[in-house]
Parts: sequence; structure tokens; C-alpha cells
Amino acid sequence: MADLHSHPPEPAPPEPPVEPALDAGSQALSEALRSSFAIVKFVMVVLVFVFLGSGLFTVREGERAIKLRLGKPVGEGEKQLLGPGLHWSLPYPIEEYQKIPITEIQSVTSTIGWYNVTPEQELAGTEPFPTASLNPVSEGYLLTADANIVHSRATVQYRIANPIGYVFDFVNASNAVQNALDNALLWTAARFTVDEILTRDVIGFTEAVRKRLNQLIEEQSLGVVVEQCTVRSVPPRYLKDAFAGVLRAEVNRNKTLDEARSYENQVLSRASADAQSRIDAAESDRARLVAEVSSRAEQFLELLPKFRQNPELFVQQRLTETLGRVLTNAQDTIFLSETAAGKSRELRLLLNREPPKPKLEQPK
Amino acid sequence: MKRNPLTLTIGILLILIVALLLFVFQVRQSEVVVITTFGKPTRQIKDPGAYLKWPWPIQSVHRFDQRVQNFEDKFSEGLTSDNFNLLSSVYVGWKITDARVFYPKFAASTTPIAEAEKVLERLLSNAKAAVIGKHPLSDFLSPADVGNRFTEIEDEILAAMRSELLANDYGIEIRFLRIKRLGLPETVTQSVFERMTSERQVLTSKSQFEGEAEAQKIRSEADRKAAEILAAADGQATQIRGKGEAEAAKSLEVFQQHPELANFIFRLNALEGALKDRSILIFDQQIPPFDLFRGSHTNLLSK
Repeated sequence: MADLHSHPPEPAPPEPPVEPALDAGSQALSEALRSSFAIVKFVMVVLVFVFLGSGLFTVREGERAIKLRLGKPVGEGEKQLLGPGLHWSLPYPIEEYQKIPITEIQSVTSTIGWYNVTPEQELAGTEPFPTASLNPVSEGYLLTADANIVHSRATVQYRIANPIGYVFDFVNASNAVQNALDNALLWTAARFTVDEILTRDVIGFTEAVRKRLNQLIEEQSLGVVVEQCTVRSVPPRYLKDAFAGVLRAEVNRNKTLDEARSYENQVLSRASADAQSRIDAAESDRARLVAEVSSRAEQFLELLPKFRQNPELFVQQRLTETLGRVLTNAQDTIFLSETAAGKSRELRLLLNREPPKPKLEQPK
Repeated sequence: MKRNPLTLTIGILLILIVALLLFVFQVRQSEVVVITTFGKPTRQIKDPGAYLKWPWPIQSVHRFDQRVQNFEDKFSEGLTSDNFNLLSSVYVGWKITDARVFYPKFAASTTPIAEAEKVLERLLSNAKAAVIGKHPLSDFLSPADVGNRFTEIEDEILAAMRSELLANDYGIEIRFLRIKRLGLPETVTQSVFERMTSERQVLTSKSQFEGEAEAQKIRSEADRKAAEILAAADGQATQIRGKGEAEAAKSLEVFQQHPELANFIFRLNALEGALKDRSILIFDQQIPPFDLFRGSHTNLLSK
């Protein structure tokens, strides 16, 4: 702009003859030029500001930006990533910038393996009518290791770990992740049986899908980290009842087994209780027998000297004593006097324990 | 003419910009650029930055994306070595590696990438048919520990594709190839469903039968164990009683001193024990002490 200031003294001396004639005109022209120059100057300054200001941009939380100068990322490695805040780049042909979501969790769902259902149906919780066969083009399903058919859907949440690769190495990196997930699901289903996928090893199946996906991510350098992987599997809807029947039978079977086991417990604990009581009875029998015999032996030893003194008397005495005791304890004692001439005598007894007091027929 | 330094500067600036536009071009990260001189590809630039060239009629710039492209082929039928119709579709990640070769082959079209993918599609269908035809269905579908060769099949298709691309240079490379989808013809799915249904029925009845059989086994086992426990207890009890008898027998030796007396005492005890409870006794005069009624004391005296 310094040129402008050196401008006035320059009107050229080589043209003085013309000057007087055009004096008023040139004066006016010079005025016009001068004012238009001022406008141009102003417009140019504004344009420069607009031009420079257009390069301002903000990077939000969870985003990074990469600045390209003449098409080449500015900086090296991690420094290429511009953090949250206000940044400035020169306008387009020289510099440009590209934003990349980074901490934001991306989500992708497998596109194969699930039956044909429209989003509206899914929202309403209704399902299309199950068919006796599956059209391979419209219906998705997986083939299992035992050549059965199963429906599975995997959803993966992932984070971009290498934003530069995510943007500059792949035309559509999220599509590549999607394909990897589809392959992981297909590949894993091909080595699990239908029962493992649906009931016996659901967690193992999910883990295997995740493992395969991670392997593919590494192999294909997709530069993402899987945060979460969920897999949902259902039997073919046409066979729903058949599968439910198996589950029911299994539940019944477990019930039957539980019942048998509780029977087992009951029988065994009763048996061991019985066994213990039998042993205890034997023990007490033994103790009683020993005690009894030894007390008898003592009694015998006590009585023996008395007996030796007078055996006859001893016997009579003992016998009578005992009989006496027996007679006092007896409920009824009946004495029959001897009939004349040894004639036999008839005696009738009603042997009936009920009612408690037995009745006695009087002897005739 | 009046020489104005401002116009001069602006003029120079404009000329410079035009010259820059004519002579300089930019290669963006992720792009590969081919420079053609009079229509012939002469230079390839893969690294981003600004470069010089001759202006338009002499040299021109052609840009291509050199990032990895995703491509999926059509879901198509192939015959396995054991004559199963297997539908499959694969996806590949491919990229342009040599734009100088790529450009003359595909640049005639307005969509060179789509054009290249048509070639890939054709190559893939051949490679797939060849590889799938070499494998039985069980190579695709079988448990991991029973020779599942899924990954090998993918690798074989990839190898076939790579050698094909090497043989006819297209300036592209396949980075990875994986199977995306497998399926069976619709009629086959119907028979699969039938088989699965009968499998389920077998499982159902097996569950039922096995459950009952196992329960029965548990019950009879329990009964047997209980019997065993009781028998063992009985044995032990007999042993204990035997021991008791043996111990008692030691005391019995005492009775040897006068067996008749011992016998008498035992009988007396037995008699007393037997008549202890709710008994009715009927006597006549023969039995002491009722013989007293016959005046047996005189007998005694006479003795």
C-alpha cells in the first residue's frame, strides 16, 4: 500500500503540453481514481479478513480434526490430531481440515443371519408369518456346524482407536467393520452346533464371535476397538414349537431327576437312621445281657452257700417265695379243690382280651 | 501510458496465481495421482503434497482414491465337491496399487472404481466356483475340533484371486477377502427344516426317556444302598450281640459250680417273669403251697 503514497508526486513531466488542455478532466479523473482506489482498498481489506476468517473452525469434545496443508497432514503421528478448541487453517487450496469423531461410540449390527423383518414390524413387536422354507435372497440365516439353520444377530459397539487410518486408509471403514462382523458371525456359527448356539453355550458363542471379530480387525488394520459385543440367536421360527418342546422335555427331565434325587436322599437318610437304631438296639441288648448274666451270677454266688447248707429246704423255700410273689401279682387266682376219686373236671375259659377285664365263667 | 505500481503488483500477482494453477497441483492424502503427457501415463504420485507439472495441453492430472475399497460380490450358487448347492457371497477389501496400470485400463469409464469391481466380480465368481468345488460341505460346516476348514477356504479363494490379478496386471491389489454370507437353495432349506424337526423330536423323546431311566436308576440305586446299609447294620448288630453273649459266657462259668441250682434259679426267674403281668392262675391241691389244703404239712412231717 506504500505504493499509493508515492503515487501523487509521480504525474509525469513528459506530458506537460497536454496537461493544461485536459486540466479539469484529468483533475476529475484523478479524483475519481483516488476515491475508487479507496473503495477497492477497503473491499480488499474486508476480503482479506473474510478469507482469513473462513479458516476458523472449532473442534468439539469427542472429536479430533486433521489439518491438511497442500493435501498433506500437518504434524507427525499423534500430533496430527487437533484436540477440542478453536483452530485456524488457511483457506482451501492451501490448507483444509477434516473432523473425525473419536470418543463417540459407534454401533454396527450384522446384516446377515436374521430373518426378513421390516423396522416397522420390529418396532411393533410383530413378526412376519413363518414359512416352511427360507428364500436365500430375502431371508437371512446362518448354517451351523451340524448343518442346521439358525437366526443370529450381533451388535457391536466400537471406538475408533486410529482415526488417521480410519479416515485415510479406508473408503468406508464402518462398512469394513460391518463386513468383518458379518464374517465373524458366519464363521463362528459354522463351528458351533445349533444347540450350543441356542442354549448350551450361548456365552461361548458370543465370545467366539468377538474373538474372531478382533482377529479380523487386527488382520485388516481397521483401527477400531470393540467395546461391547452382543449376540442374540433364535431357532427358525417355523420350528419354534419343536425347539420349545425340547426345552420343555428337558425341564421335565430335570424335574423327574430332582424327584428321584430327593427320594434317594430320603431313603438313604431313613436307612442310616434305621441302621443306627438297629446297632443301638444291639448295643443295648448286649449291655442288658451282660448285666443280667452278671447279676445272676452274683445272685447265684450269693445263694450257693445257703443252698449248700440245706438244699431241700432251700428249694422249697425259694419255690414258695416265688409262688407267693407270683400269686400277689396275678390278676386272678383260682383254686380248684380236688374232685373225689380223681375224676376229671371241666373248666371253661373265655379267652378274650377285649374288653380289658376278662370275664370268667364260673366252674360248673 | 501511466504506469501504476498497484496495478502492476496486482497484475504480477494474478499472473503468478494463473501460473501456479497451471504448473502446480496438489496431491491429497489418500489420493494417488497419475500424470499423463500427451495422454500417456508418465508419472505416479502417491505421497501427499504440492507438485509441479506442465500445463494442460501437455500434461494432465488424474486422481484416484487409493484407500481400501469394500466390494461384495453377488450371492451366487456353487457346487461343493459332494454335490451340495451352496450359495455364497464374499467381500473383499481392495485398493489401487499402481495407478499407471490402473489408469489406461479403467479411466475410459466415468466410474473407474465400478469398472474395476466388475472385473473383480468376474474373477471372484471363477475363483469361488473353483475353490468351493474342491471342498465338501463339511469343510464349511463342522465343529472347530473336527476339521473345520472355513478359514482355509477363504485363504484359497484369496490366493486364487491374487494369482489371477498377478497374471493380468490391473494395478490393483486385494488386501483381504472373507466370506460374508452362506445359504442353501430354498427347497433345501425345507428339507433341512424337516430334518431339524425330526431331530428335535428325537431329542424330546430322548430327554423324556433318559430322564425316566435315570430317575429309575437313581431310585433303585438308592434302594440298594439303603438295603446295603441296613444289612451292614444288621451284621454289626449280630456281631455286637455275639460279643455280648461271649462276655456273658464268661460269667456263666460261675454257674458250673452247681448247675442244678443254677437251673433251678433260672427257672424260678423265668416263671416269675412269665407270670408278671395280667395273668390268671388256676391251681389245684397238688401244687405247693396249695397242697397245704390237703394237709400236706402232715406229709412233710412224715417225711
